[in-house]
Amino acid sequence: MAPTRTTTIKSKHATNKSGIQNSKTSSKARSNGSSGDGVSKKSAKSKRTTSKGVALGSVTGKGAALNKLRKKRRVYTERELGIPTLNMITPVGVEKPRGGKKGKVFVDDRESMLTILSLVHAEKDGQIESKMMKARQMEEIREARKAEAEKRVEERKSKLDETKEGLKKKRKRASAARELEGEGGRREEEVKGTKALKLKKTVSFA
Amino acid sequence: MRPLTETETQTLFAKLANYTGTSLKNLIAPLDNGPNADRYVFRIQQSRCYYFTKTGKFRLHITALPILAEHARYKVWVKANGEMPFLYGGHIVKAHVGRWSDDCPEHQGVVVYSMNDTPLGFGVTARSTQEARRLDPTGITCFRQADCGEYLRDEDSLFATS
Repeated sequence: MAPTRTTTIKSKHATNKSGIQNSKTSSKARSNGSSGDGVSKKSAKSKRTTSKGVALGSVTGKGAALNKLRKKRRVYTERELGIPTLNMITPVGVEKPRGGKKGKVFVDDRESMLTILSLVHAEKDGQIESKMMKARQMEEIREARKAEAEKRVEERKSKLDETKEGLKKKRKRASAARELEGEGGRREEEVKGTKALKLKKTVSFA
Repeated sequence: MRPLTETETQTLFAKLANYTGTSLKNLIAPLDNGPNADRYVFRIQQSRCYYFTKTGKFRLHITALPILAEHARYKVWVKANGEMPFLYGGHIVKAHVGRWSDDCPEHQGVVVYSMNDTPLGFGVTARSTQEARRLDPTGITCFRQADCGEYLRDEDSLFATS
């Protein structure tokens, strides 16, 4: 079967780069450098460092000190090393996922309970206070409206009374005037004395 | 049985503060002045002791009455003729109110007492004290939340652990 074959071939090539020790290709590559793998690595490193040291150290004393500082080994992080993820100190599967449930935080000491209580109390007191303020304001408004309405009623009443009084007075005045008129007419005639005072009709029987 | 979490404690205190004044802190105060003095704590077991609904709300039962009555902030005293209607689950009408705490706002938790200072239950005011004065005798002044009659009426479910 063609597709399966191709896959096997690819995986063989891949082992060359992956550094799996037992694979044929990797062993071949190592044998080209030197006999043992640990030794070959060391030799390569030492060669590199010595060559650098010679080149820089030959310039000045200060340069040597700098060189020492530079020599300090860099500490690589796991990411920089590019180690396959399965080869880490804590393998991928074992590591706990971040941001998960962390469990309940219980409050059982007196201090924290008191702080929560005082917070809640302050909030409640504020609420009650605002309620009371509102109620008081509403009450004031209601009182003011009531007073206004009463005042209006009073005004209307007084106006009505006034008109009533006026009407009564008018009537009185009119009747008084009529009476006065009647009396006055007689008197005038009496004063004049020219006309007969008695207006009574008399009937005489001959 | 476990201690309460922070949010649960807050909900509990907020509920209790509806009915009580500042003396509530005596609830969690140590019993004496010693360094390792004993004190009361809150504990929760499933939905009992403190009943948390699924929405995290907290419901006080009539069983909390002794604690509330001790630390009550606002109180209502009902006359003898109003005791029975209240204990049978009715709201409190104005005609049954014997005495009121002054300056009580609307929708405020109150503890209901009989005229001889026996706690009967608790509820929420329907009107503020000032407004209630203008109310007609059949008007509701206090909505019932829990009353001692529940000990008989809800005998089966009140102490059930399911």
